[in-house]
Amino acid sequence: MDSVDRTTHQPGDRTRLAVDQLGVHFGNRSALEGISATFRAGETVSLLGPNGAGKSTLLRVIAGVLPATHGSVRLDGRPIAGPHPAVVYVPQRSSVDWTFPVSVLDVVLMARSSRRSRFIPFTGDDRKRALAALDQVGMRQFAPIQIGQLSGGQQQRVFLARALLQDGDVYLLDEPFSGVDVPTQDLVVSLFDGLRRSGRTIVYATHDLAQAIKSSDRIFLLNRRLIAAGPPTETMTAGNLRATFGGQAIVPIDGGLIALGDNP
Amino acid sequence: MTDWLLDPLRHTFMQHAFVAIVLVGIICGVTGTFVTLRGLAFLGDALSHAIFPGVVIAYVLGGNFLIGALVAAVVVSFGIGLISQSSRLTNDTAIGVLFAGGFALGIALISAQRSYVKDLSTFLLGSILGVSRHDLYLTGAVGALVLGVFGYFRRELTIVAFDRTFAQATGINLWAFDQLFLVLLSLAIVVSLQTVGNILVLAMLVTPAATARLLTDRLRIMVVLAAVIGALSGVVGLYLSYHLSIASGASAVLVATAVFAVVFLFAPRTGVVTVAISRRLHFPHPELDAFPSDEAPSATGAESGRLRDTTPAIHADPSPRS
Repeated sequence: MDSVDRTTHQPGDRTRLAVDQLGVHFGNRSALEGISATFRAGETVSLLGPNGAGKSTLLRVIAGVLPATHGSVRLDGRPIAGPHPAVVYVPQRSSVDWTFPVSVLDVVLMARSSRRSRFIPFTGDDRKRALAALDQVGMRQFAPIQIGQLSGGQQQRVFLARALLQDGDVYLLDEPFSGVDVPTQDLVVSLFDGLRRSGRTIVYATHDLAQAIKSSDRIFLLNRRLIAAGPPTETMTAGNLRATFGGQAIVPIDGGLIALGDNP
Repeated sequence: MTDWLLDPLRHTFMQHAFVAIVLVGIICGVTGTFVTLRGLAFLGDALSHAIFPGVVIAYVLGGNFLIGALVAAVVVSFGIGLISQSSRLTNDTAIGVLFAGGFALGIALISAQRSYVKDLSTFLLGSILGVSRHDLYLTGAVGALVLGVFGYFRRELTIVAFDRTFAQATGINLWAFDQLFLVLLSLAIVVSLQTVGNILVLAMLVTPAATARLLTDRLRIMVVLAAVIGALSGVVGLYLSYHLSIASGASAVLVATAVFAVVFLFAPRTGVVTVAISRRLHFPHPELDAFPSDEAPSATGAESGRLRDTTPAIHADPSPRS
């Protein structure tokens, strides 16, 4: 698996996304507290933390599908509350109806639906773009297949293609590496690389410490609060990891780190 | 045979009845497609019963029963939302409570009327012979409205039915589209009351759409098929009703059910009998299992070192249909 090539690509200095004093409470329980951070154009940030640390919650708040209890989210300096077309969100397990009568191509075309007039059907151009997106994830030949006929990894690729076609500035992905086969993991890494090179911001949640070290510019360690943020070499210290994962065992392997007892 | 077909058409009331049942078949087929895809058959049933008091109140007061039904539908759908906010009760329970209560209220109100039995059976079973020209205009107008709204919001309604998280993340207001759908469903039910009656309207919503689903994997085709099957079942049912002197709603539903049974058993790719026969002819047929639709993640992925994707034998049509 390629690690991020830091010699040819540097994230820009431009702040794309900023969260300020973000807090989320579910009833009396606080899921996130006082999260302040910035995300630059052209960088990949991974969110690491144990279950219940608030990784998914943070992504959902930025995506605008979950309202924050406190604090604000800014995109290119402007506050956003709620979904924004430039912010693309890919949940961990799409809660879709797999028996639904839609083809793979139909699913990808959903990314274009908000851009098309209600009175005009999708054009050849829409289809061409959707097929190109499917090509990028190696699923073009599956375009006419009903979505439920695919394997789990293939379904995940289709949703990545739809996300690509949404053509956002910020990509939020919840556990893009879990529950998919190795070739799909490699594909995700190369898609991330292409997106960040074209100036997109990628924020993803993961359980996989080694993957995070290899494929992110910065790592955010999260456990309800933001414990540390920075380049992998600076963030992944024993002290920070202990503060994040608490008593959960962390075993170093070949210089990488694997958190145990935490995978779903 | 020609007489069998033409004889009913000599009567004006039968001409009206045929137009009415075709309209109802189309409206219910299109609406029912979304009812079945969203798994809302129980809600459809509940709504048809719960709007009953609204229809009765409008009838008793001499008002427009369409407006009475719509008011009742809105009240009931808000009520379901309100009750199911209680974390101890599921949506199903909320629907069950309101639907039985609403239906009882309707019966209580109508039983206070002098012509109780006749009125009740008119509402419950329909009274297709009494369809006036005015009723047809109303049904046609409501039908055009329902189909127009479905067409206008087709993409949103499809996305909301298929993938609610994506809908939400792309700024589609789930609550608004759920309420819109309830209103469309209520309209479809109300315009069907006179023709098929309160009890059997559910079958016109669910059965043609279910049949269509067995025949296609394309939503657009499914909508059209459901409308055609609904309308044809209505027409054939009406002939049977006329010649055999049976209730029109019941015969339309029986025809639709028979069509469903035939398709279920003998549909080209999905029919129970068809599949069994083709298994026997082409056994073994491992490629049928090339795409397990199970949700299990493909293990840790490392098992074979190659993609499952690279070995498919696709037996669906390889050319993208547009």
